[in-house]
Amino acid sequence: MIELRGITKVYRMGSQALEALRAVSLTIGRGEFISIMGPSGSGKSTLMNIIGCLDTPTAGEYVLDGDRVAGLTFDQLAAVRNRKIGFVFQNFNLLPYATTWENVELPLLFNGKNAKKRKSRVRELLDAVGLYDWREHRPAELSGGQQQRVALARALANDPPILLADEPTGNLDSKSGEEIMTILTELWRAGRTIVMVTHNDHIAARSERIVRLFDGQVVS
Amino acid sequence: MNLTLPRFFWSEYRKRRKKVALITFALFWGTLSILLLMAFGQGLTTQFRVAFSGLGETLIMVYGGQTSLEFEGLPKGRPISLYPEDVDYLKDRIPEIMTIAPESYIYLQVSASGKEINRSVHGTTAEFGALRTQIPQPGGRFLNADDVAAGRKVAFIGWKVATDLFGGEEAVGRPVIINRIPFTVIGVLKKKIQDSMYQGPDADQIYLPSSAYRQIDNRRRINQIHIQPRSADDSMLIESRVRTLLGRKYRFDPDDRYATSFWNTIENNKEGMAVFQGIEIFLGIIGALTLLIGAVGVTNLMYALAKERTKEIGIKLAIGARRRVIVQQFLLETAFVFAKGTFWGFVTAFNIVHLIRLAPISYDSFGIEAYLLRPVFSLRIFVAYLIIVGLLVFLSGIFPALRASRLNPIESLRYE
Repeated sequence: MIELRGITKVYRMGSQALEALRAVSLTIGRGEFISIMGPSGSGKSTLMNIIGCLDTPTAGEYVLDGDRVAGLTFDQLAAVRNRKIGFVFQNFNLLPYATTWENVELPLLFNGKNAKKRKSRVRELLDAVGLYDWREHRPAELSGGQQQRVALARALANDPPILLADEPTGNLDSKSGEEIMTILTELWRAGRTIVMVTHNDHIAARSERIVRLFDGQVVS
Repeated sequence: MNLTLPRFFWSEYRKRRKKVALITFALFWGTLSILLLMAFGQGLTTQFRVAFSGLGETLIMVYGGQTSLEFEGLPKGRPISLYPEDVDYLKDRIPEIMTIAPESYIYLQVSASGKEINRSVHGTTAEFGALRTQIPQPGGRFLNADDVAAGRKVAFIGWKVATDLFGGEEAVGRPVIINRIPFTVIGVLKKKIQDSMYQGPDADQIYLPSSAYRQIDNRRRINQIHIQPRSADDSMLIESRVRTLLGRKYRFDPDDRYATSFWNTIENNKEGMAVFQGIEIFLGIIGALTLLIGAVGVTNLMYALAKERTKEIGIKLAIGARRRVIVQQFLLETAFVFAKGTFWGFVTAFNIVHLIRLAPISYDSFGIEAYLLRPVFSLRIFVAYLIIVGLLVFLSGIFPALRASRLNPIESLRYE
């Protein structure tokens, strides 16, 4: 499902070049739950961005569901992010001026869903994460755990087969973190592919497989 | 259009009230300027047309003259006069002529109700009324064919003549003495704006049937002939044919420019209209430049908002927004800022124009106020304004919108 072959990412800053990823090859099967671990600067986020089609590799090939990502335009990549991939960020990345309902509704809007379908889907998602009663609240009025649950609901809006979680529990207390991990595990068991970046061995242990990065290379 | 996206903009927009207030005022002022300037510009053009039509619509006047070229053995310097029979002579031979009328005039003493004045007295036919926009006030009429055929001693007088002779009293039915001959007033000219004339404004003239006129002026020749073509496009053709036909009758070279002369108001009108339309366009451009200042302010605001909303844009791009969604959103928001700023400018301009139009115009003298006090707020102006505003909305919004849509999603997500 996700095939990375010899992925290299080089950032250029003036005359200097920084190699964030060096010939990384990785295959993630459908329905797999993997954790990506490594110290700061090891290339975890860069790898996550490339898998999430937010960034493109300098060299190498990324095949997602049999399609080469390198040939896609900006808008085609946006469509892939919208329909195939759900993002959960460490700092939630919710729109501060939008309500819980509106935040969850956005990916559906971008997918061209009509008002009726949007309404029923948002309702279903907010019920699933237990935040329907908080639908008119803005992110600043929610706890960290609630915000991450909103982010999870948003990530699932278009029912994507892949969920990318970048330190999903990093900004949460242990109870809220456990709640999020429980939801992620349930989603994996329901057949979704989960790719999670974490520093936490205890959290990583919940996944099927751990991929360790060091200096831009896969070490185990 | 879903309103979820613009709602986010509103929150940001409100935070910048002070700066937005200045931009709103600039747009208000720009709208007021452009609409008033265009309304006054069109008012000038319209009033020019109205004032010019005071003389007559699509009118060609033919005068006699003096030959300046030798012709068929005849010397130059011969006077050429026009005569009443020339009217039928020309009408029978030029099918492009719709209406034609002779006119003679002489300056005479006129008296009534114990008052004496000196005025131009004209002899003409019924056709003259339509040719020279001689519209009577209620209760009166212009000369008709029977007046001319029967040689009735009736007079159609200008409104100033009526005031000078009868004060505020009813003039119709009252006698006026012209050269010791009594005439009955059958109509008084309705007030009109007139900026073109030859014997003074029509308000000061007295018109008699040509047959009766001969009793006070025994010269057989007439001063001029008025022609209205079937089509304004034929005016130069008619001029040429009149010159040829009169040249044949009175034996002068048709190319002799001094044997007869013409006042072709159709051609004059075209030139005048071109000048006034040029002024109208110029005023519109000045107004548009004023509005442009406001538009620059909007562009700055949108650039600032795009920067402040970098993270928001990054989030939207990350969850699948296409570039056009971001562009549409910024253009919609730009249109909103414009709508807010221009609405009151529009309302104010509309009311100012209608208030100014309430001011009276003096018909006694053709002053500048006749041009300035009749601005026009027409559909044409509204459409031109919408096009200009639409263009400015697009130009103000598109560049910030494109910049926002081209942001790198990863860098935008990291933006704090």
